[in-house]
Amino acid sequence: MNTAIRITVNGMPEDVSPSTTLADLVNLFREMDRDLIVEHNGRFVFPQDYASIQVAADDRVEFIHPNFGG
Amino acid sequence: MRRSRPVGSRNERPMLTEQESRRYSRQVALPEIGVEGQLRLAAGRVMVVGLGGLGSIAAYYLAAAGVGYLKLIDRDRVALENLNRQILHSTADLDRPKTESAAEKLSRLNPHCRIDALQTTIEDDNAAALLADCALIFDATDNRKTREVLNRLSLRRRVPFVYGGISGWDGMASTFIPGRGACFSCLFPPQPEATESPPSPALGPTAGLVASIQCMETLRLLIGALPQLAGRLLRFSGLTMEFRTLQIDRNPLCPVCGSSQPQHHSTP
Repeated sequence: MNTAIRITVNGMPEDVSPSTTLADLVNLFREMDRDLIVEHNGRFVFPQDYASIQVAADDRVEFIHPNFGG
Repeated sequence: MRRSRPVGSRNERPMLTEQESRRYSRQVALPEIGVEGQLRLAAGRVMVVGLGGLGSIAAYYLAAAGVGYLKLIDRDRVALENLNRQILHSTADLDRPKTESAAEKLSRLNPHCRIDALQTTIEDDNAAALLADCALIFDATDNRKTREVLNRLSLRRRVPFVYGGISGWDGMASTFIPGRGACFSCLFPPQPEATESPPSPALGPTAGLVASIQCMETLRLLIGALPQLAGRLLRFSGLTMEFRTLQIDRNPLCPVCGSSQPQHHSTP
């Protein structure tokens, strides 16, 4: 049975299904920024790994918007 | 502080003049700098790309600190909406090329610093010629595309690339050393259909903070200290007043420096 797990996304609690991958979260939270980079439990994640990493309960995910102004 | 070979230092003079000794005395007093470090700064050659919010602070601090040679690149003229943050320029400089305004202020600030200011756009086909024998690329640009040009230049010429960027209250910085860890595109993979985004909101103190951090890294590299932001992304938010760092590894699939690309390894 698929009980939701609680993770933290950008500092906010989120309940997601246990099979959720970082790719799913990126699609869910991408908003309008194609450029965002992903931090998972304090580690930078390469885009090619988004689809294969599943989140677990209490994980922390941060979406970081690059700053390209000057 | 651990020392490594200073970037690009050559033709070091044997000693400081009396004027220089006084001018730089407060930083020569730092054990990490000393007379030896100051002479290395005097032999330092840095290309600063962009004379806006980041470049204003960068060029001022690098010139004031006694970096011997600055090559300044910017294509724009001073506009009224620049002046909330670009403190190298003033109201009297409106419509002047930023390079001209910058060269004048910096020469006045420190006549020991040699300035070449070029009003041009840096692109792949002129980047190497513009870099010439500069030993460090200081990113003070305002867009992703130019940073990608600087990254390719950095890898091709094996010259450190000190990145900084801002958006409103937030900013980030990192240092990319070719052959040692991640490059800019490992961190920010190129986007196929990247379009120029409209100017992002920009606050003076954010630019000042990020450019100051980049200057510290630059001074460290020039005196032969190890960079602190190689392989790390430093992020700052002025909304929460928090600094955070994130470790960044080289991406084996990076389309710019990855294993499918020509290698740019330097000696370990």
